[in-house]
Amino acid sequence: MKGLKYFFFVIFLFASSTATYAQKSPALFTTVNPADSSHHSHLKQYNIKEETVVTATRTERKLSNVAIPTKIITQKSIKQAGSMRLSDILQEQSGLFLTSGFGTGVQMQGLNPDYTLIMINGEPLVGRTSGVLDLNRLAVGNIKKIEIVKGPSSSLYGSEAMAGVINIITDQTPNNKLATSLRYGTYNTKDFNCNTTFSKGKFTFSHFLNSYQSDGFSIRPYAVERTVAPIWRLTNQFHTSYQASAKTKIDIDLRYAYEHIQNEIAVTNNGIITYSKGNEYHKDFNLNPVITHLFSSKLKSTLRLYATNYNADQNLNTSGNSIYDDQLNHQFVRVENQTDYYLNDKISFNAGIGYVQEGVKSNRYELNSARRTNNINYVFAQTEIKPIEKITIIAGFRYDNNQLFAAAFSPKIAAMYKATEHLKFNASIGRGFKAPDFRQLYLNFTNTAAGGYSVFGALEAQKQIDFLQSIGQILSIESDFYKLKELHPEYATGINFGLQYNPNQQIQFDLSFFRNDVENLIDTRLVAYHKSGAQIFSYLNLKNAYTQGVESQMSVKITPQFAVSAGYQYLLTADKDQVKEIEAGRVYTIDAGGFARRMELSEYVGLPNRSKHMANFKLSYENENYFTNLRVIYRSKWAVNDKDGNGLYNSNDGFANAFAQINIAAGKQFYKQFRAQIGCDNIGNYIDMANLPNLAGRTFYTTLSYQFNQKNKK
Amino acid sequence: MKKNQILMAMAMVASSFYACTEDNTTTPIDTTNNGTFKVYTLNDVTEVQNLIADTIIGTSAQGQPVGTGHFTFFSLKNRAVVPLTDSATSNWDVAFRGTTILTNAGTSGPGMGGAYTHVGIFADVSSFNADSTIRTDAAPVYAIKTGSNKGWYVYDGPNNLITPIPGRVLMIRGADGTLYKLEINNYYKGGVTPLTTATSAIKLSTQRYYNFRYKAL
Repeated sequence: MKGLKYFFFVIFLFASSTATYAQKSPALFTTVNPADSSHHSHLKQYNIKEETVVTATRTERKLSNVAIPTKIITQKSIKQAGSMRLSDILQEQSGLFLTSGFGTGVQMQGLNPDYTLIMINGEPLVGRTSGVLDLNRLAVGNIKKIEIVKGPSSSLYGSEAMAGVINIITDQTPNNKLATSLRYGTYNTKDFNCNTTFSKGKFTFSHFLNSYQSDGFSIRPYAVERTVAPIWRLTNQFHTSYQASAKTKIDIDLRYAYEHIQNEIAVTNNGIITYSKGNEYHKDFNLNPVITHLFSSKLKSTLRLYATNYNADQNLNTSGNSIYDDQLNHQFVRVENQTDYYLNDKISFNAGIGYVQEGVKSNRYELNSARRTNNINYVFAQTEIKPIEKITIIAGFRYDNNQLFAAAFSPKIAAMYKATEHLKFNASIGRGFKAPDFRQLYLNFTNTAAGGYSVFGALEAQKQIDFLQSIGQILSIESDFYKLKELHPEYATGINFGLQYNPNQQIQFDLSFFRNDVENLIDTRLVAYHKSGAQIFSYLNLKNAYTQGVESQMSVKITPQFAVSAGYQYLLTADKDQVKEIEAGRVYTIDAGGFARRMELSEYVGLPNRSKHMANFKLSYENENYFTNLRVIYRSKWAVNDKDGNGLYNSNDGFANAFAQINIAAGKQFYKQFRAQIGCDNIGNYIDMANLPNLAGRTFYTTLSYQFNQKNKK
Repeated sequence: MKKNQILMAMAMVASSFYACTEDNTTTPIDTTNNGTFKVYTLNDVTEVQNLIADTIIGTSAQGQPVGTGHFTFFSLKNRAVVPLTDSATSNWDVAFRGTTILTNAGTSGPGMGGAYTHVGIFADVSSFNADSTIRTDAAPVYAIKTGSNKGWYVYDGPNNLITPIPGRVLMIRGADGTLYKLEINNYYKGGVTPLTTATSAIKLSTQRYYNFRYKAL
């Protein structure tokens, strides 16, 4: 009997080395619910595969079994939407609000882009500008799927995973493949992709190349700043895997991305036009070797090394003189071990330990030659328990010990209850954090081009202002100066409650409620005045806020070919201190004549740049060699400008108009290997130059692709 | 000299008489703000529209928009602009240049003026606080603080717009010691702040037009 078991185990490993193993986790570690298998015949009919997710628990789980709900964006939907960059596909997802300014960021559950961790194959990307990681940096041509976990996930991923996590999983299927595509569209936008995979014996080697080029566009006739400038982006990604033995596998990922943005700026001042030329270069390098070893059928250990370097250089020349040159280099090196132990069908454990060394060098810091560094040691542990068949509980924590600021403890507990085969409930509560970043600690920046104001990081402010004062260069000190102290991480406590209902294979309905209470938010405050009268700012842990709302998603397969889906998010946000001020009657707004009157709480709209209602709608038709779809994205108005000058956002202020964007696409397969696709984004030609600078008007594109697959002969 | 003073006194009497006649008017006052300088009074509250406060005429060597550099002097008592030549007298109560507001005392003038900023609703204010809160001008620091979010206005840098902070009542002691409350409602011509998307030419040409109301306490 034991021999037979062993035999099957070997067979399994053998099989997994060819195909399934590439998913980095053997099926032993996926908890298969026997009830699920009964659906398989229906699944086939509707062409749905049982999907697995890895981001929610750091181990591979069937989507239907995971206690922390995870959204998946599949390769197919990325392709059928004609997406080129990560931002293109994320903007069509429920509850994600894309922001502009310092690149395109993503707002999740109403929290700023700073608080969402963006990862490739589980490793974080670095290089944020003012807290925003530009989603346009990422090409999507080699993505197998994107996994999105909303709500605090710091218990597994540490800093930045406060609002949630977006994990990009690249396609590492070991077969022999050549896939290329060429797309051409409005504004002379050229996008070229080439995926090659070569698999022989124990080796799999794959390469992805993407080149994106666009002339950009200008929708602001008199703009000082660019809307979207001419750009060239190149991404090269290599993946090698080696099945060293039946129990050991080595994966090495290497990624290099390059961006060059050119911009010509014309500043008109009282009729005199000054022309400037700007150049921005971004280089992104990632190296990620991973060794996975199975000690037994129940014990797996993964050693991950990760090194990344992000380099940004931005300069501006006016008639040959460099008036501005801004440089930033961010390095991040991490060693991490994760061990997964599968005790039995009811209990499993994961634990990890890691070390991070991080450093930033910038000419916006005092000594631009010196690299500012931080070391982080961390441990995390998680257990998944199934006390009875219908209930799954996951509990975990992570402890991050930082060199530069207070340590952070992030616990999380989640539970899922399968009421029936078709109805599931889940609930979770967790704590997330975001560590103060290098900018908030070390910035030493004086904007000589715009009035000479200064921004000093929290660790610099005291020292710099004391020095300026000693040489008589300070006009006055503000009360917030005396509040300057060590910066603490920003914290969020998130509660999520939801249900998933699928009465049959054609209908899927998800509903979730969320609430995030955020404390210690870091805010920029005026701390002193230069002798010239110019302002000096620094960073303080000051604000407390909350975001809460409802998200729902419904998809219906009307026929095996025809599907409809719709998503909606309702969001409420508030700065808690502002609410207190309003309730105390200390906030005023203006009446019709422009004179002051007391503001009511009902007029308060909460945090700016957030839409109360966001919705999306998708119609799609698909058969074996043809597809077409229509996608609609809607956002209700959002506050952009404190028009009445009372320091917060209320119904009297400036709002961006509600808008709907409609995109369509259609594609056809020829001779199995060729595919042609055409599409039109923003059919309605909706333009809002002030508030949606990245939204081009109506654009058209056409894509031709060729794919050659050879199934691995094994 | 004496003749001048007599003329001045006559003018003051005349202007106060003129104001009085308007106080007692029975015909409705035209409050539409069409961009012209206008003063009218209703129920002891005087409203001033489009008081020009050194509008921008050009650009400095540093590229900063500038006016002539002169203040516009205003008598709250007489509800009228005071000529520039009287700047060193006690004939004016407040003076405006760009966002800077002077009161007639200290480094600004020979009067008994002074001011402080009260946070609240104009209608709710009925008296001055104890004398100690009244400050006088000591250039470059003024009784009514200058700077964004410090005194009466907030400056929106990205959009290059000045907005009076709602709920800031300027408590002003006139040159003769009379106490006033004053509320500024707009800084632009016609009492309309340009759109954030307006050109900078529009934003610059329509600013420095004070629209405010005041009342003697």
